[in-house]
Amino acid sequence: MKIRKLHKPIIYLFAISIGLFIYEASLAAPTRHVIKNPSIKMVIIPRTAEQMAAFYEGREFPAKAIDATRSACFFTIGIHNKSKNIIWLNSLQWQLSSKASKIELIRNTHWKQQWKKLNLAQRFQSTFRWTLLPEQLDFHPDEREGGNITIPRQDGSFNLTAHFLTGTDKKGKPVVLEFKNLRCAKDNN
Amino acid sequence: MRKLIIFLLISVFSSGLLAESNLPKGIIKVTPRPAPTLNLENMDGEKYTPYKNPSRWRFVHFWASWCGPCRREMPSIQKLIKAMSKDKLEFVIVNTAESEDTVFSFLGGVAPDINTLLDRDGLATERWRPRGLPSTYLVDPSGQIQYVVIGGQDWQNSQYQQFLRKLTINNDKNR
Repeated sequence: MKIRKLHKPIIYLFAISIGLFIYEASLAAPTRHVIKNPSIKMVIIPRTAEQMAAFYEGREFPAKAIDATRSACFFTIGIHNKSKNIIWLNSLQWQLSSKASKIELIRNTHWKQQWKKLNLAQRFQSTFRWTLLPEQLDFHPDEREGGNITIPRQDGSFNLTAHFLTGTDKKGKPVVLEFKNLRCAKDNN
Repeated sequence: MRKLIIFLLISVFSSGLLAESNLPKGIIKVTPRPAPTLNLENMDGEKYTPYKNPSRWRFVHFWASWCGPCRREMPSIQKLIKAMSKDKLEFVIVNTAESEDTVFSFLGGVAPDINTLLDRDGLATERWRPRGLPSTYLVDPSGQIQYVVIGGQDWQNSQYQQFLRKLTINNDKNR
């Protein structure tokens, strides 16, 4: 009987620590949004400002450039053309909207201008550019490419509709993927 | 003599056709275009001399240590270089816009035999217009980009080595 009484608090502590572990793991693991169909697989992973800062700090980016990235939400995109046709990426045609309004993707040219204003060394500009998703690309069969897209930082959820033209002449059946309830990832401060 | 000529014509034609139609996964034949110059230095501070070996095909590879597929591919490229050391293929490895320290510590760990060129500001890479990183180009002996390799590949796979050998052998035949 005594032994049982002693065990009770230990069991509670054990249950609480498991609960905490699961909660922390859920915070640490980035949310992945995946849409897969026979012709394409697309993955979206929201990145927190700290994750992005850590990445660019690791590449020796100056603080002024890292501060500039904090004004944007980063999403890492992975696209895999699983079809036997060309699939055309044109992110400028994607639609992003929240309940309140339409959201514009931050264009790659915006970042270029930003870096110019900050007089950022060319090598950092180049690295940053390669971490972005190309705005336009013809995906060959089985090709996988990825990179980040950026939008102005915001709190609410939004939807993203990604349109892809298909076929060498872009006249094949278009592929439309709809991602719902995307959110900017937040750091746990 | 006539039979011999016909046989030679057929074999030359079919080898070219084979190279076009049986490309290993990820290798794309492109409309030939001149390969941009690479006025870069390697990790030992030696200047790269383009067309030092004018009779050779060139395997031009762009990479960065922060890119996952590049990290996975690099050991396989080191093994490919070793496996093809007797073939007439020149390997030109180009790091895109990273510091010497980063390049040294990364390659030291995964592919210590590779001496990469350093594209310190990333502008040389831009001129090649890669689809992403990593990117590999196969440049013919006249300096024309003939093939683009998309994404990272397992160069240990015999299909790739056979393809590369075929290129260099066909080149020898045509000379």
